[in-house]
Amino acid sequence: MTVLDQTHSRRRFLQLTGAVGATAALGGVLQACNVIGGGGAATTGTFNWMTWSDHYIQSQLDKIAKDTNINTAISELAGNAEGYAKLKEVKGQLDKISGDAMWVPNAYAKDGLIEPFDINELKVSSQLYSFAREFPYWQSSEGYMAYPFGWSPIMIYYDPAKVTGDPNDWQVLLDPKYKGRVVVENQPEEIVAYMARAAGFDKPYDLTDDQLTTVKGYLEKLKPNVLKFAQQATDSVASMISGEAWLITGNLGNEDRVKDGGGPEIKGYVPKEGTVGWHDGEMIVKEGVNKALIKPFLEQSQQAELIAENFLANGRPLFNEKAYQILTDQGKKDQADRYLYAKAPDVLPTMVLKGPGTSTDKSIQLFNEVFGTS
Amino acid sequence: MTAEVVGGVDVAPPTVASRGRTARLRELAPFLPAGLLLGVLFFVPLAVMFIFSLWTTNANLDIVPTWNLDNYAQFFQTGAYVRTLAKTVAMGAAVTTICLLFSLAVAYFLARYISRRWARVALLVIIVPFWSSYLLRVYSWQAILGEKGALNQVLMGLGLISEPSRLFVYNDIGTFIVLTYVYLPFAILVLYASLERFDYTQLTAAQDLGASPSRAFRYILLPQIRPGLITAAIFVFIPILGEFLTPSMVGGASGLLIANLIQTFFKNALVPQGAALGLLIVAFVTVLLIIFRKYLRVEDVYARG
Repeated sequence: MTVLDQTHSRRRFLQLTGAVGATAALGGVLQACNVIGGGGAATTGTFNWMTWSDHYIQSQLDKIAKDTNINTAISELAGNAEGYAKLKEVKGQLDKISGDAMWVPNAYAKDGLIEPFDINELKVSSQLYSFAREFPYWQSSEGYMAYPFGWSPIMIYYDPAKVTGDPNDWQVLLDPKYKGRVVVENQPEEIVAYMARAAGFDKPYDLTDDQLTTVKGYLEKLKPNVLKFAQQATDSVASMISGEAWLITGNLGNEDRVKDGGGPEIKGYVPKEGTVGWHDGEMIVKEGVNKALIKPFLEQSQQAELIAENFLANGRPLFNEKAYQILTDQGKKDQADRYLYAKAPDVLPTMVLKGPGTSTDKSIQLFNEVFGTS
Repeated sequence: MTAEVVGGVDVAPPTVASRGRTARLRELAPFLPAGLLLGVLFFVPLAVMFIFSLWTTNANLDIVPTWNLDNYAQFFQTGAYVRTLAKTVAMGAAVTTICLLFSLAVAYFLARYISRRWARVALLVIIVPFWSSYLLRVYSWQAILGEKGALNQVLMGLGLISEPSRLFVYNDIGTFIVLTYVYLPFAILVLYASLERFDYTQLTAAQDLGASPSRAFRYILLPQIRPGLITAAIFVFIPILGEFLTPSMVGGASGLLIANLIQTFFKNALVPQGAALGLLIVAFVTVLLIIFRKYLRVEDVYARG
């Protein structure tokens, strides 16, 4: 007779469940001790990283884990505001987080959530373009706030077989001809920023109440044209491939992604009113219990060979200059130049960098107000 | 009442009141684990949410503990929020109605006309979709209802339409179809459990006494399965009030429901606003449950005059 077949008295049942509960609790305590114990200067182990899916290639992570015993536990990052909110909640449960340009100083650093570091201490940083080590807004008395990774302006892509007249502005997204044919990523503050640019406002994250009223009008025109909100950049590309969307917003390189996926030949442009854009980086979380693993990991993961491979897989410019040389040597210079790889100093100043501004909260409320039921 | 002498010490017997309290505590003791669980995992978070809902967020997305009712006021002052809640309730009511109608027909057929063995096989088939993830099922519906999806191919193959229709997805119709698909099995299972226990000879007796089949159905069957109907309605309607995945995946930009707005607030660090909206839904659901509770009693059909 097995234990499951036995008839148990209430006392016996309570004894059994009590024992199971105590074992589980003990396991939890031991696990917690283990986590706390990991806060030392261990150079092997697993760290928690919240990032976008294009910041890593799994096979590269596997190789790094094999070579160095540094493993990664990754959670997907959908947007800057979400990552910032999440880090404020969990703090030391994350060790590394990715973030866009102005979110780094204006949110993460301002709240003391990240640990600046001497970027020149990292040998691999010598492979970066020098300007990427000197972004003034990432410098503080304690060091550099993030390790620079990639960048892109937000562009509009369209299917020329469906969208006529060679558009070159934001207004095309509002054209009633394209009702239900626009797909944008589900990032409310960015969608409001696009419409602010369409309205001609230079500071789309610092809108006054009057400007917000104007932007509301633009959003109301945009609403019927939006087929859906893509959860990830890949969803926008998939919509273009399937033919559901004729116009999408996105990063550099979507022409190739759509074509590689079997979709139509599409065109992309930077809207003439100006655009928003991003350059991102990797931050070390101040309270991260495994933060000692981050610098050794960066030394491995930011090597030019790996960054060149990442460029070919994800198609947007990165800040690793040596990787550009590798791409050139591999005969991929045309592709790199098409994606403006070496043009960051010229292009970055032309775009408004993503970041929380004085109107971010109102922008999100405005988005809900417009995209709620009218 | 006299004191007993136990071991040389006078011991007063327990009074009736203290005996009653002890007995009452002993009766309640088994509920302690469940009560603790409910308190820690439900009431404490709810209280935290309530506190957050009374605070505000500044432009830097920091939560500022200034006590006020602004977030609640904002809900009632913003037409789009109220309309979105009304639309969510309407969507829930529509899906619940169609689910109850379909599930009543299916469950009645299974309970009355199919052998118990085959009915169980049929129920197994009904719950097979639950073996795959919710997300996967909704993705599948995107593929079925989309412009190049199976439904359009079938309709075009039958010559009913000449070009792919965009009627079925990225709108409220798409949300309605998928929510009905997702929640129908819950309703069927609940109603089958009610109908399986029903004594169908009562219907025959009613008809022997002159009632038409529909009258017998209405006055004999329905009152006795009312708790099942109400439970099925609760199982379908209430989760729909919190649905955000289906609307975001097949509802498109025009098909957002109230939970999508709440999600946007939470995802973008506007926790107090999200908490207030969430608590309004909780309040709404609580009122509904109080109303429904009254109807969960089985009516004594024989006592009616």
